Amino acid sequence: MSSPYLSAQKIVKRFPGVIANNQVDFTVNRGEIHALLGENGAGKSTLMQILYGMYQMDSGKISIEGKQRHIHTSKDAIKAGIGMVHQEFMLVRRFSVVENIVLGMDSDGITGNLTRARERIRDLSKTHGLHVDPDQVIEHLPVGAQQRVEILKLLFREAQLLILDEPTAVLTPQETAALFQVLRHLAEQGHAIVIVTHKLHEIMSVSDRVTIMRDGCVVSALETRNSSENQLAKLMVGRDVSLRVTRSVRPRGKPILKISDLHVTDDRNQKAVTGIDITLHAGEVLGLAGVDGNGQSELAQALLNLRAIQSGQVKMADVDLTHRSPAEHHRNRLAYVPADRRHVGALMGLSIARNVILGSHGKYASQFGLLDEKKINRFAKELVRRFDVRPSDVDYMAGKLSGGNLQKILLGREIMRDPLAYVIEQPTRGLDVGAVEAVWREILSERDAGKAILLISAELEEILNLSDRIAVIYEGRIMGIVEAGDASIEKIGLMMAGVLPDSEAPEIRR
Amino acid sequence: MELDFFSGAFFASWLAASVRLAGPLLLVALGELYSERSGVLNIGIEGTMLLGAIASYLVAWQSGSTWFGLMGGILIGCIAGTYLSWMYITVQASQVVVGIIFNIFALGVASYVYRLALRGVSGPQTVEMFKPIAIPFLSEIPFIGPVLFNHTILLYATAGLVAVAGYVLFRTKFGLNLRAVGENPAAAETAGIRVSHMRYMCVIISGAAAGASGAYLVLAQIGQFRDTIVAGQGFIALAIVIFGRWSPYKAALAALIFGAADALQLSIQLFQIDLPPQLFLSLPYVLTILAMSGLVGKANQPEALMVPYRKE
Ligand SMILES: Nc1ncnc2c1ncn2[C@@H]1O[C@H](COP(=O)(O)OP(=O)(O)OP(=O)(O)O)[C@@H](O)[C@H]1O
Ligand SMILES: [Mg+2]
Repeated sequence: MSSPYLSAQKIVKRFPGVIANNQVDFTVNRGEIHALLGENGAGKSTLMQILYGMYQMDSGKISIEGKQRHIHTSKDAIKAGIGMVHQEFMLVRRFSVVENIVLGMDSDGITGNLTRARERIRDLSKTHGLHVDPDQVIEHLPVGAQQRVEILKLLFREAQLLILDEPTAVLTPQETAALFQVLRHLAEQGHAIVIVTHKLHEIMSVSDRVTIMRDGCVVSALETRNSSENQLAKLMVGRDVSLRVTRSVRPRGKPILKISDLHVTDDRNQKAVTGIDITLHAGEVLGLAGVDGNGQSELAQALLNLRAIQSGQVKMADVDLTHRSPAEHHRNRLAYVPADRRHVGALMGLSIARNVILGSHGKYASQFGLLDEKKINRFAKELVRRFDVRPSDVDYMAGKLSGGNLQKILLGREIMRDPLAYVIEQPTRGLDVGAVEAVWREILSERDAGKAILLISAELEEILNLSDRIAVIYEGRIMGIVEAGDASIEKIGLMMAGVLPDSEAPEIRR
Repeated sequence: MELDFFSGAFFASWLAASVRLAGPLLLVALGELYSERSGVLNIGIEGTMLLGAIASYLVAWQSGSTWFGLMGGILIGCIAGTYLSWMYITVQASQVVVGIIFNIFALGVASYVYRLALRGVSGPQTVEMFKPIAIPFLSEIPFIGPVLFNHTILLYATAGLVAVAGYVLFRTKFGLNLRAVGENPAAAETAGIRVSHMRYMCVIISGAAAGASGAYLVLAQIGQFRDTIVAGQGFIALAIVIFGRWSPYKAALAALIFGAADALQLSIQLFQIDLPPQLFLSLPYVLTILAMSGLVGKANQPEALMVPYRKE
């Protein structure tokens, strides 16, 4: 067998207080798609950012095609033939596709004549099935197309190794399938491809080999076809996990949250939500599926009045909350778990204990307004125990928690307040399977306790596993509401892309 | 001779003065444009102008050469720009706070040095100035000639720099990279651009332009130094950048409007018209406040303006 394209040996990277990579060995071959799997905080992104020159390793060795290379900046990495698509796209919104692609390249002298670049982009698009118009401006492109631009950017730089960090988090199932086809094609052409993902079924369907990391170490590297989803999950978490939740059938209760004819604009004053009607009942999970950026976050913010409502009404058990303060939403027992855990959901510089009392300070203060530390600690300890937060030290800083544990705290905080209804946004984005399982279980147990839950998620599997009814949002409108029994990945996926399945019109129920 | 307020002579002299006064404003605004396009709001240009003015004054006085004076202004501008970019980019202190503190510091230094230099000298010293150069033929065109083609070399150079900035920012790879740094530094860095190098360079350019602009005031307009020589023109340049929508050509237009407002105030005093000159004196500052308060709109503002970038 030929030697690997890239081989990283004994990589060590320390951050204050953690060893993010501990003697990591990692190899990728030309022609293969290599999946990198691991729990939150296992050190996957750290390893990839070292390869791409964004972090400096403390010790270790990187060789490409047998020759040792020193990579200190992204520029070095690009020169060495390494390219990376970051989870958050690295594109300049107001530049065109071609401008984004030639950015930072020093060929072609100082003048910015882009005619030749355009030609090459068209060629590359054609050969690899990455359709995009070089003169479109990025901000007018859907996410799927932006991702194609990112990949073109790498190919334009003649990257041989392509690293993709959680590339499917924001795609429809159809877009994901198309992406995988492109990746397969690239691998066949001799590129080496690394994909970081938490989705086991994707690993099974697209990858040739898997490397599994836990606590900064590589625990295993194996051929995909000799493994199974269960085995991968077990290797990664160190115990058995099942991503099969059982959802009992229960009758819908009475209406709790009524949204009628809601209109909301986005940050740039463009229409984001145009005339949405939804009624949420007790004891149901209503899944709101949709590709990111179709108005779902604006909708969530408007429901809590964190964003101004242009017109329409939000009613909670007959109380009109339309233009009332978020505190009043709280008082009327509507809870919110935001998508942006780190900036909206928590105060990263404060301890777990301080974060879990946010919004209920009054309950933990004496009559003179002083905080009652004992009471706070008692409450925080209870929450940490009940939701199995690690570490269990309530003085631990929230900013240092892994995504999964932070999410347990945000969800736990709301659950402990005993609300009637929840607006939960992207609850498992970026979480590993172990954490996903825990969050799903909590959401379903709240539903079984008779709570009404609006679950906003771009993750179809999550929607299909948890929802009693599924609404699909596209360009600020509800495409239709489907009973869980009638839903399939294909049908919902098409609706997410704005296509109504013509064979059977979706039943619209309110 | 009886001068009519609405006569052609009035207009010609007013417009010529507008162009003349717009020169230093435009020069410093052009420098600021580089800095802001790369994502750094350099408020320190006000103080840098003052330092440029005192440096050029002292050098020109001691050496007797206006050109040495100009170079002294530019040099001190580069030094100030280097210090400011270190504070903005490496230390990552608040750009507004650093800029304002620096302006106060510059005021203190400039007036102190000026008093020190004048010790034992009787009265303020006047320095040699750049002379207006009438461009052959063009300057003889009626009306337009005296308005546009009878100015100092500094004004012609500044006009040339408008075209240079337009070309560099929008027609070269370097300009593309520079603007990318101001729009999305993380994207620029991953594309292989050194964000901090780029920002250092741009802030130093704005410092050099501000230093030159301070020298401009001394060497082409006043011939002397005084503490109030800059009098907020650096802040006005910040407004010009906003009115100019971060484009050099539009900034030139905006600078002319500010120059015109300033010139009007002078002309009105000259022609003894019965209007309080304070009204017109305050006009550029009122426009500045409007621009800074966001009333003019933020179309084209670089997205990462004032956002420090930390490479992880
Ligand atoms: N810049 C940083 N400073 C300090 N600690 C860091 C930094 N980046 C990562 N870490 C820590 O290093 C460890 C590994 O993080 P890393 O982001 O590589 O994990 P990951 O496997 O990519 O996780 P996820 O699946 O959540 O993306 C974590 O404990 C994390 O808190
Ligand atoms: Mg990661």
